[in-house]
Amino acid sequence: MKRTIFAFLASTVVALPVGAAEFTWAETTDPQTMDPHAVNSTPVLGFLNNVYEGLVRRGKDMSVEPALATDWEPIGDGEGWRFTLREGVTFHDGAEFNADDVIFSYERASDEGSDTRSWFAPISEVVKVDDYTVDFMTSAPNPIFPSSIANWMIMDSGWAEANNATLPDKENGNYATINANGTGAFKVTAREPGLRTELMPHDGWWGDVEHNITKATLTPIQNPATALAALLSGDVDFINPVPIQDVARLQSDPDVNVIQGIEARIIMLGFPHEADALKYSAETSDKNPFADVRVRQAVAHAVNVPAILQTTMRGNAEPASQLVSPAMNGYSEGLSERPAYDPEKAKALLAEAGYPDGFSFGLKCPNNRYLNDEAVCQAITGMLAQVGITATLDAMPVQNYWPELRADNYDMYLLGWSPGTFDAEHPIRFLAATPNEEKKLGSWNFGGFSNARVDELLPMIQSEIDADKRQAMLDETAKILQDEVAYVPLYVQPLVWGTRSNIELTQRPDNFFILRWVTVN
Amino acid sequence: MLAFVIRRVGQSILVLLIVGLVAFSMFRFVGDPIDNMLGQERTIEDVERLRAQLGLDQPFPVQYFRFLEGAIQGNFGVSYRQGREVSEILLERAPATLELAFVSGVLAIAIGIMLGVFTAIRRNGATAHIIMAASLIGVSLPTFLIGILLIYLFSVELGWLPSFGRGETVSIGDWWTTGFLTESGRKALILPAITLGLYQMTLIMRLVRSEMLEVLRQDYIRFARARGLKERAVNFHHALKNTMVPVVTVIGLQLGAIIAFAIITETVFQWPGVGLLFINAIQFVDIPVMAAYLMLISVMFVGINLLVDILYVFIDPRLRVDRTGGHS
Repeated sequence: MKRTIFAFLASTVVALPVGAAEFTWAETTDPQTMDPHAVNSTPVLGFLNNVYEGLVRRGKDMSVEPALATDWEPIGDGEGWRFTLREGVTFHDGAEFNADDVIFSYERASDEGSDTRSWFAPISEVVKVDDYTVDFMTSAPNPIFPSSIANWMIMDSGWAEANNATLPDKENGNYATINANGTGAFKVTAREPGLRTELMPHDGWWGDVEHNITKATLTPIQNPATALAALLSGDVDFINPVPIQDVARLQSDPDVNVIQGIEARIIMLGFPHEADALKYSAETSDKNPFADVRVRQAVAHAVNVPAILQTTMRGNAEPASQLVSPAMNGYSEGLSERPAYDPEKAKALLAEAGYPDGFSFGLKCPNNRYLNDEAVCQAITGMLAQVGITATLDAMPVQNYWPELRADNYDMYLLGWSPGTFDAEHPIRFLAATPNEEKKLGSWNFGGFSNARVDELLPMIQSEIDADKRQAMLDETAKILQDEVAYVPLYVQPLVWGTRSNIELTQRPDNFFILRWVTVN
Repeated sequence: MLAFVIRRVGQSILVLLIVGLVAFSMFRFVGDPIDNMLGQERTIEDVERLRAQLGLDQPFPVQYFRFLEGAIQGNFGVSYRQGREVSEILLERAPATLELAFVSGVLAIAIGIMLGVFTAIRRNGATAHIIMAASLIGVSLPTFLIGILLIYLFSVELGWLPSFGRGETVSIGDWWTTGFLTESGRKALILPAITLGLYQMTLIMRLVRSEMLEVLRQDYIRFARARGLKERAVNFHHALKNTMVPVVTVIGLQLGAIIAFAIITETVFQWPGVGLLFINAIQFVDIPVMAAYLMLISVMFVGINLLVDILYVFIDPRLRVDRTGGHS
């Protein structure tokens, strides 16, 4: 009898660790759906990473680690990948996880109406070997496939069928839009879109529990000043993001902590490579100076990136030299130097290109997409004017911005890019490859940059299994993009989170907030 | 008389149609919703397919006609952002806005009239002067600034009241939720209600004061005083009663303004009402939500104005349009 009581007490202690607590956090945007295949965006995938799980997941250092698959290995000579699934995993509603759910989730996530279908473009077939083994056959060797599906989340086939949600429905919504049933460490216990989403720990979770949360609540707060007040007054335990201009003030407050890091997003300037003439120039309306590499080099030398980071970003960002940050897989170590700030050299280059007196042009910029985007563009406009090229800045909300870029209404533009796969191949595919609708390449290459060697290297990079050879090709591509000044990479966007001082958590460069790493002291 | 009412109703419907048309033609300048609905890995093909599915590739008159067709049947479509029926979302959000508007309206009327009477009776007292000066702040400071100041004072510095949200709510009936029945709900109401009602409060106060001063100069007040009536009876029974006619008119018209202006207050306090919904919708270019909200607000304004117009005719026969087709 005594033993039983002791055992009972011991199990209580395990179930409720000391300091178990409720946790509330605020983000600017509410995840617009609970459907992990409907929208491929950071607010949605970041939140759902707490609820759903994929075959693999990313750890605190962004490395790929086992989740619903315990192991994976290439099949034959790069014909595909074999995943061994974890046994004994249950969904929040108690259903068992097995290979059928993987096949179902593959079909669901690669459907025409799914926003995640591009992840499965290399897949030719998915084969169920047995209940806990699945083969993903690829049309060409694909070394990065496992890491490219870290955000692909597995849904229970039975649950989806029973609730009529076998496909994501972006236009009309369905059961999976407001309900969730994953295998993750937390389950959604209440959801009021735009107001409040409540999570509780999933008792049957397979992993080791690191957190001490009993209930977590997400409330979106749009107004940055209100979010800040909510953190300062202790109404919330964590906010993301903290406005850059308030960082210094928060750091002096003993009740809150500021957690800073860099995001995966590179901010850069883009050019109209293909255009015949400038669109917004007073005097140079018959030709396109940016088609000349010397002019693009001049721009790179004219922008004083350290000064922008010091003033507009208040010292919170890192300069960038390539289309990916050093934290990404495939970053070219040897090319980490960005063009030095040298206005004299910029003027000389302009003179050499035939513009000794400079020219005027139009710079397009979003004003609500990236941190302090408009202020950065204003600084750039001033710096370019000093070497004689005068920009008319046109800043606009992002919902108007993309249509303008698509319509080629710019002479230069600001762009931020965060590689979803955390690999250097990603920006090459979307930003540097010659636009080709059929092959689904270069879909964000607004300026139409085109280089035959880059186009040749891309498929080779995609299918190269040998890591060194692959890196050599990535280096070659990065070198071409630098030499050609396809874009002018400026800096890596900072990530600034604020917490109450009794909160411990881990910040990941993909700006995902992972609840199971939170400790409330 | 009937002809007048019918004509006014007809005019109101015309106004609604025009408001809808103007609003709809503006949506094209708000931006393109497709980019928000698809992630960065979308292809051009995905963009075009979704555009066609949503009917956004249709010319603007066709889109407007489709919207009207649905709206007449009470169907405002599905929100692009949330993937749920717009009417369902609006119903869910309406109680928050209506409760906030109700409380700030009551606050504005009660305090406004009280202070108005006070400053009129003691028009040379020091307190009255201070109140009048302070009321200038209410008229001239922008709402969001007042909201932020209140949050910093009462939430961050003093820690008395919550900085955002509506607190806990209780469901009543099928769709109404109320914050009146919980302590956190009542606490959460205080700051937003003050912020939203401050302008109306100062407006009512100044109006009552000037009307009151006007009335107090009238002969019958002097006679009342001469007859030895108590000061309170003179001020409240005889004077205030006669100042109320214009005050009631203004209050009626301000009712709509309170609900419409709630947008800013709701944004500052993250108050989960229709105003916040509208702001979100603009950022996301959620056309069905924007259209439904604007129609709702214009129906409300047009309805109130229609009611006032008709009431005037009943109250004041001089406004009746003569049957030979006069003017108005």
